[in-house]
Amino acid sequence: MIKDTQGKRMMHLKISKIIKGEDVDKTFKSEETTSVSRRDFFKRTASVSAVAAVSILAPGALFADDINIMEHTKWGTTLGDECNYNPYGLPSKYEHNVVRRTSALMSSAGDMHAAISMSPLHELSGIITPNGLHFTRTHNGVAHVDPNKYRLMIHGLVDKPIVLTLEQLKKYPSESRILFLECPSNGAAEWKGPQFNSLQFVKGMMSCAEWTGVRIKTILDELGLKPNARWMLAEGSDGSEMSRTVPVEKVLDDAMIVWAQNGEALRPEQGYPVRLMLPGWEANLCVKWLKRLKFGEEPWYAKEETSKYTVLTASGRSIQHFYANEVNSIITSPCPEKPWTDLKVGDLVEIEGLAWSGHGTITNVDISFDGGKNWREVSLKGLVLPKAWTRFSYMYKYEGKPLLLQSRAVDDSNNVQPTVNQEKEVVGVEGVYHRNAICTWEVNAKGEVNNVQVRS
Amino acid sequence: MFKLDHKSILIGISVVASTALLLTGCLSSPSSTNSSAKAQSNELTGPYAGKLGAIDGGVIYPRENGMYTAYVLNEQSTEGINHGRTPTENEINAWNLDALPDGTGLPEGEGSVEEGDELYEANCASCHGDFGGGGHGYPQLAGGNQEKDENGIVKTLKNQRLEPGMDAPQRTVGTFWPKATTLFTYIRDAMPYAHPKSLSNDENYALTAYILAQNGIKIDGEKMTDEYVLNAEKLAKVVLPNNDGFYPNIDGPEGPANVKAFFADRAKNIGAGVRCMTDCKDPGMEAAGAKEAELVRIDYEMADVVPPYSTVRDLPPESEDVTISKAEKMYNESCKLCHSSDRMGAPAVGDVQAWVSVTKKGFDQVLRNSIDGIGGMPPKGGNDSLTSDEVKSIVEFMIDSSK
Repeated sequence: MIKDTQGKRMMHLKISKIIKGEDVDKTFKSEETTSVSRRDFFKRTASVSAVAAVSILAPGALFADDINIMEHTKWGTTLGDECNYNPYGLPSKYEHNVVRRTSALMSSAGDMHAAISMSPLHELSGIITPNGLHFTRTHNGVAHVDPNKYRLMIHGLVDKPIVLTLEQLKKYPSESRILFLECPSNGAAEWKGPQFNSLQFVKGMMSCAEWTGVRIKTILDELGLKPNARWMLAEGSDGSEMSRTVPVEKVLDDAMIVWAQNGEALRPEQGYPVRLMLPGWEANLCVKWLKRLKFGEEPWYAKEETSKYTVLTASGRSIQHFYANEVNSIITSPCPEKPWTDLKVGDLVEIEGLAWSGHGTITNVDISFDGGKNWREVSLKGLVLPKAWTRFSYMYKYEGKPLLLQSRAVDDSNNVQPTVNQEKEVVGVEGVYHRNAICTWEVNAKGEVNNVQVRS
Repeated sequence: MFKLDHKSILIGISVVASTALLLTGCLSSPSSTNSSAKAQSNELTGPYAGKLGAIDGGVIYPRENGMYTAYVLNEQSTEGINHGRTPTENEINAWNLDALPDGTGLPEGEGSVEEGDELYEANCASCHGDFGGGGHGYPQLAGGNQEKDENGIVKTLKNQRLEPGMDAPQRTVGTFWPKATTLFTYIRDAMPYAHPKSLSNDENYALTAYILAQNGIKIDGEKMTDEYVLNAEKLAKVVLPNNDGFYPNIDGPEGPANVKAFFADRAKNIGAGVRCMTDCKDPGMEAAGAKEAELVRIDYEMADVVPPYSTVRDLPPESEDVTISKAEKMYNESCKLCHSSDRMGAPAVGDVQAWVSVTKKGFDQVLRNSIDGIGGMPPKGGNDSLTSDEVKSIVEFMIDSSK
């Protein structure tokens, strides 16, 4: 069934018909008219992949000998660079397309000072995001703080206020945690329907790194927090003077002031030299270029916790102080950028993905091949840490048939990732923030992958 | 094991013949049935079962026996650790500028709606539109219908764009913002966008007054006319229309407890899934009265991404050895924000026609305007640290780039 709304062709189709093949031809036609550039992109990808497939699948004499094996390579017959040619190492030049990307939709009028760039999740392995690929959100550009002029003040309802230089701060004992950071707008473009045909843009407002710094409680134990302190104001030193109100309970649990990211200083985009880290909570609360922590009795109602970062529900009222990024997951392979166009029927292939929860630790991930009607639990793999990306994996025998692939995560607070409809029922479609509904990849008979939604 | 029959890939509450087949297939998998049972009995899995209690509804993990979850701890005491120093009173005062909704912390000063009007035209209108009405891609500050329903809810905030062409909820100061003190502190700390913290407190009060007046806000029942003068005392009295439009209640001694109670009931308050494993019906869909879920494809794809999509692994195109001139660098830092396009009314660099009419005035006049300011453009583009010679080289660069 195809609805016509205001002259535009809305692609609402009965799932049963698609899977039965009744609407498939029509579907492909619509797709060609709406996304020509994507089709070209897939064609290019497919031809590149075909070369690789040939070299793997040639056990006998069916194929010509591979020149890459038969002849010496350029790099094997010449002297390479001097060992410290790049004193700060760089990725291979061949990886130049593995970069953050942005879009005018992620900004005001295309102005990229207050904007978001997305991590290339389709190219990431494991659970650590390299620092140069960490997603970035700025409200007044990336500030470049002189570490020699940097000062951090902690005051308000404490017995002993304190001011620290960067070197003094780093003298406190450090702890390191692998934690994801996610903008609560991650997936916000999709409330009303799918818009981007890309894993990078569907879920790329997040990254995961090892962060090193001091627990705020360690400092507060010496400063003496007054018993009437209920809230902490965290304030940044950038042009937007980003500030947020944090409950003291979180501060005393696992909040940190961090200065290192994957073993080196924070990148300017991540708040060099110092940012607040509230494990599992909105990245916006983890104030960058941190300047001041003030303890008080009443909340401040900063701009980014009132006019923005509040969730407007269908009731007309809005949820405020919505802290944790909820339980969530996404299949990273296959995905629109990494389709299955090079697979043959019968090939065994790994379905892989990421699950995470700001409430705690991922306990289970289920996947569905039929758009959410039937599910099976899949294996987690690698490190399973609280408030960190967790990889999941499932070996699948490719059948060359249409699929509606979904993943659904569960955490140790018993949160289960909702369907699009379940979330819509409570929040509506204008909430902007904290969207964690189950995502669907449609794998068509050609192995192409498209971002779709199962909803009513 | 699990066998995927393509005919059985169906969703919805309509019962189909193949369901039985799939149901059998799934039940034969031990892991699925186990976890399904777990979810139904509400029993937590993993090593931290029962450790609930965080304010966000999640887990508080213990630091005990030298461990914090999977991390090993140094358990030596840090008692007596003391780095840094006590700030002076002046230092605290210099940074302690935050203000609460009751007015605590607001500085002295005052400004009228009329003064704010002039300041707004010069500093804000290019982004936020005339009278705060938006239209330039940056947030709209004023406008929107503030009318309330019988429950005191701003009606237009209930707008839900379920179909294309429907009206969006408007989130302006008058329809959405809860607190007027936020407006003052945000303008003071973060605006004007390209030159934050450059205005005086009097100017910030004037701008706050202007924006409140554009939203039709009354203070103590008094309409904010052009002559109305705003100060700290009056600002603290403002009750914005959507003041009560937010939950949970965070004010007072019970604030944190209210938040905790709200997030303890996540299924009701923010939405949660159900861990059904076989023949699942989507409860949200049933509630919406739909018989079968639909597959919604991308209608209009957002494909203008930068850099363009590519997963190709090849050598990057040879980049020409471009060294950027000092003038261009200064232009990028101080002028580009407004001059990169004509959306803010400034002549766009590269727009030949626009610059033909600019240069008609003669170079000396153009330079004088650049140094003294003209129309919406502040002197030297707002960057006082530029010397006249530097402005001259920037203007030359802009003209040369627009031929």
